[in-house]
Amino acid sequence: MKPSVTRKLATRAKSSGRKSAPGPSGKIHPVVIYPYRQPEDYSDLKLLYQLIARLNREKDVYARPLTVIDRKTHFANEDNKSFREFRTRTVARHSDILDTWGVDTCQTWYSGLGAAFERGGPEDVYWLIPGDFNYGTKMGQEVLSRLHDLPEICQELQQDLCIGEIATDHNNSKQLIDTYGTFALLYNWFPTEAQAIREYTERPRSEFFAVRHGFLREVLRHRWFAYEQTVVMLLHAVFDNKHISRFFVGNISDLPTGRDSLASAMQQVDRTERVLKLLWKERNQPQAGWSEQYRVLEERSEQVRRTAHVIFQNLLG
Amino acid sequence: MSYSRYGAPPNTRAVNFMCIAPEAQHVTMVGDFNQWSPTSHPMKQMPDKTWLIMVELKHGHHRYAFLVDGQLTLDPRAMGVARNDQNERVSLVPVS
Repeated sequence: MKPSVTRKLATRAKSSGRKSAPGPSGKIHPVVIYPYRQPEDYSDLKLLYQLIARLNREKDVYARPLTVIDRKTHFANEDNKSFREFRTRTVARHSDILDTWGVDTCQTWYSGLGAAFERGGPEDVYWLIPGDFNYGTKMGQEVLSRLHDLPEICQELQQDLCIGEIATDHNNSKQLIDTYGTFALLYNWFPTEAQAIREYTERPRSEFFAVRHGFLREVLRHRWFAYEQTVVMLLHAVFDNKHISRFFVGNISDLPTGRDSLASAMQQVDRTERVLKLLWKERNQPQAGWSEQYRVLEERSEQVRRTAHVIFQNLLG
Repeated sequence: MSYSRYGAPPNTRAVNFMCIAPEAQHVTMVGDFNQWSPTSHPMKQMPDKTWLIMVELKHGHHRYAFLVDGQLTLDPRAMGVARNDQNERVSLVPVS
């Protein structure tokens, strides 16, 4: 039993007076993305759902939390007693469950944020909480105790998007992907916007973020991509001069589901390139001469991607 | 700061801010808490040349920055970054 996170959060909520005076600032909608692969050890998820249970009790501040579970996860674990029990006794008790078929993680975000949006109002804030992080560790608990800052910043400071930034060392695959993949590609396809994004964050693919109702309405109506949707949201925020903020949530790493592998790093860069190409075409096709410009950018983009692959090969291979 | 025994519990916390600008002549702190007044919160230079100030802040999140010889400067130790109403990048501090 590790109650420190929930206790700290409860103390904070009481001391800030929020329970008694939620004010006109709307509700916060927690949206949990349940891990795609079911862990053998539930300690991380137990800690996460202690937080969700606390949020569920604070009904004047938070809307009923929503947990999005991929149907493939569900069917892969139909015979798994631990999964069934955890789903029934913990997840369903503290949150509504949205079962969804999704081609990739960001599509489950789309389903979850979209469903929460339909329950929300103009002053509300939507808080995405990825389920596949090591919340059971000491640092993970520290992160859990800070995550609530993201929607609060959106509410209190009228920010449209608040990105949670995690710290990693320079040779961590996330850092390598962002430095040699994400930002390098962004500088090619959207150089002005890339510089603006980097003024806020070094983690443009972060899965920790909160978004205000008005901005979420806009991004839900744009094309939604199955992956790298945080990058797309940041680009839309810069295109439309939205208020972006960044908040440090601590040191944390993905659970070991193979994301550190060379193939995975390459795949993430390939996906980013694919998304940026589509978004660039969408924005530039109405302009004369776009196809020539596209070909030039595409050639450069291939060089960037190949260089990133070489670096990953050297460091992760 | 002292509070009446029978009064409401304090809703503020004293927070220390430090700015390393050894060559600066004048450093002040500006933020939402003082309506971005360039004069109301001057920082004090310590013997090691760092500039210090303690500010009472309410619970919640605050935007702030240092004015180093009149130049708006981000706090490299800040927990976050946002924009102020003038669309300038400023620092963020949570107070719990």
